[in-house]
Amino acid sequence: MATPPNPTDGNPQNPVPDAVNPTTNAQQEADKGATKEPSIFVNTEPIREDQVQNAIKFLSHPKVKGSPVMYRRSFLERKGLTKEEIDEAFRRVPDESPSVATTQPAVVNQGGQSQTASNIQPQAPIQSLQPVTAPTSKLGTKFHWSHALLAVGVLAISGAGTAVVFKNAVVPRLKSWIKKVVHEDEKEDVGNETDRKPTPAEEAAASAKAAAAAAADVARASQDMLASKTEEKKYFGELLSLLDVQVQEMKSMSNSIRKLEGQSYIAGREVQVTNSRPPYTNGRGDYDARSARSLSPPPPPPPAFVEPPSATPSHPKSYMEIMSMIQRGERPPNIRDINDLPPNPDQPVSNPRLAPKPKPWESTQSQGSSIYENNSNGLLDNTVGPASMYENSAPWWQQKNVRISEVEGQENNKTGGGYNGGTGVSERPVQRSSWVPPQPPPVAMAEAAAAIRQPKKSQQQLTDEQFLARSSEVTDELQRITKISESGGNAAVVDGGDGGGGGSSVVMNASEIQREEEGSYYEASSVET
Amino acid sequence: MPAFKTPFNGYAVKFSPFYEQRLAVATAQNFGILGNGRIHVIDLSPAGPIAEIAAYDTADGVYDVSWSESHDSLLVAAVADGSVKLYDLSLPPTSNPVRSLSEHTRETHSVDYNAVRRDSFLSSSWDDTIKLWTIDRPTSVRTFKEHAYCVYSAAWNPRHADVFASASGDCTARIWDVREPGSTMILPAHEFEILSCDWSKYDDAVIATSSVDKSIKVWDVRNYRVPVAVLNGHGYAVRKVKFSPHRASVIASCSYDMTVCLWDYMVEDSLIGRYDHHTEFAVGVDMSVLVEGLLASTGWDEFAYVWQHGTDPKAP
Repeated sequence: MATPPNPTDGNPQNPVPDAVNPTTNAQQEADKGATKEPSIFVNTEPIREDQVQNAIKFLSHPKVKGSPVMYRRSFLERKGLTKEEIDEAFRRVPDESPSVATTQPAVVNQGGQSQTASNIQPQAPIQSLQPVTAPTSKLGTKFHWSHALLAVGVLAISGAGTAVVFKNAVVPRLKSWIKKVVHEDEKEDVGNETDRKPTPAEEAAASAKAAAAAAADVARASQDMLASKTEEKKYFGELLSLLDVQVQEMKSMSNSIRKLEGQSYIAGREVQVTNSRPPYTNGRGDYDARSARSLSPPPPPPPAFVEPPSATPSHPKSYMEIMSMIQRGERPPNIRDINDLPPNPDQPVSNPRLAPKPKPWESTQSQGSSIYENNSNGLLDNTVGPASMYENSAPWWQQKNVRISEVEGQENNKTGGGYNGGTGVSERPVQRSSWVPPQPPPVAMAEAAAAIRQPKKSQQQLTDEQFLARSSEVTDELQRITKISESGGNAAVVDGGDGGGGGSSVVMNASEIQREEEGSYYEASSVET
Repeated sequence: MPAFKTPFNGYAVKFSPFYEQRLAVATAQNFGILGNGRIHVIDLSPAGPIAEIAAYDTADGVYDVSWSESHDSLLVAAVADGSVKLYDLSLPPTSNPVRSLSEHTRETHSVDYNAVRRDSFLSSSWDDTIKLWTIDRPTSVRTFKEHAYCVYSAAWNPRHADVFASASGDCTARIWDVREPGSTMILPAHEFEILSCDWSKYDDAVIATSSVDKSIKVWDVRNYRVPVAVLNGHGYAVRKVKFSPHRASVIASCSYDMTVCLWDYMVEDSLIGRYDHHTEFAVGVDMSVLVEGLLASTGWDEFAYVWQHGTDPKAP
């Protein structure tokens, strides 16, 4: 456990939350997590053996062993295991350091294949494990590589073979076909001249010459084509470079324009922000400097000439525009260089002017809260305005909509839970001082009840409606009652039950009201709890 | 109900625990992706527009802000460059910030001030850690490192001075006790990232978590395997939850579906209010401790609204 170093200044206002500090425990009035009582924020579940077994199977898997410990823990935590169960599982799985794991990959792979077969039954953690799929795919890829090599080799050989066959067999056939065509032409010519009867040798020679001439023509034509192609390539390349240059120029120009527009927009924004009182800004607003962040490469320098800034401020860019700019490596142009470091790191913090106010949920005594309310009103006078403004008409943020109080009334009838506003807005000032529901009234003895009933017989005739109408009075009384009971008045109640005359009249009211109950009081109280 | 226009995108809004008309708004430029930040301190006036009484610029976006519970003029800010900055309103602006605490190695996402001890605060960061600080020390008191991913939120228990909860992108929420070396409970609360958590102010064992899975779940830590309630209704990830300081079972939430919703988790039909005044992600929401029913929200549409529950936030 990392024990924090002791503070050098013993400032009583700042009790350091050390592990050993009994005085702070005493200060916490509502803290049930004191060292004596067990904290409710701790796991009290016993270790579940089945979960530990699942975790052990998960951790024993070879691929899981290759993953960082953090990911293993995080996975088990997400599956709902407690810290103790995870620690227990880690303890039980044979310890394997990462360096040892790397020397056993060959053994593990072969073992892994058999293990994957046996692990098919398993529990959800392993089935949903991605690492399980990883090894099989990895092994598969290895096979794929050798397969690919084989395939390439086969293709190459076949290609060579076909080339050879082509050369040996197909080309002569082509030649002979050409010769035949030429021969047929010659035959036609010969057919016109009936006298001449060329010999096969002469025919062969003639056809060969024609073929050679054709081939030469073809060769020349192809050479010309090649030459022209290279020329075209050259021209194309030149064109591309010219275009690139132009694009660069245009980019730089647009950047400079944006920068200028950005500056004018910043100026416009500052004007907008100024309200009745001038805003306090810290640091210096350097409009010309660039931000010092080095996340993306700096923008290109602006060109020599600068266009005048545009009249309208540029609109803020949308989210997608910003994201695409960042991904391209550009900087959004509206970022300023701001020095936000403290000018004096040892600057003492000013003293507070107000005492901390109690929270609405803190079970403080109403006197305490009313004192604070008086204080706050006084101090609000200094800061905001005359107190009369608050006394006469609450500011708009305090005025609740009438509609809402009705809605809340309905809601309370529906829910009956957690809200003290059963009687509407008028009760709010009372509610501010955290009304605590009263202790369940103790069972009063019969004689005491009879004794109480007689002097207050008139109240027995209260109807339900009247009782609810008097609920506010009841609330006040009950507040006093609860205070008495809280301050150890339980003894007084008991006394009242025993003797009938020992308890205060307020306590007798409590038990009398309980007698009156018949549901009406409890309805009211259930609304308010 | 006036609205306050911020030059940057809003990220968080907090009511002051001392002055019922005062709020702090944390904003970041360019949606917080990359850019400067600014903290605005604004005052409501009984009849009229919202006035800005201070503004502090930062080099990087401000993701969260929290008021001190001991000093009425002290603010703590979570800045995207990993630092935690302290601002003192009663000092002149040139003396601010009074502290800049830079220990987090990634963006600081949230800060929360201890309302019971009133002397310490937490910061949670995308570097998977939570740090405990006090005003008087230049370095952190404790570092809590257990989460496997960004910690989006840390919240003190309102009744137990040493207990806090954290919500993380590793899909767990954790309960911590600063007296213990590590977390005391792990709640696998959602199947997706948990963006926010908050304690109930009236039942100290109840905690609400909100997640990317569009739901809010309410848990009782004494029986944390099954949620007490699951609140569905948001159309997108729920960015922030806040328990009401005045009504025990009321929760306010804001979401990327641009709405702010009010829930009562004890009721069958939990949704008791929905406000769709924002035109972009609603990212910050707060309920006033001093004025019952007063809500504030801010979003990426560069507006901060303050209104009473049941009224229209955009009404003049």
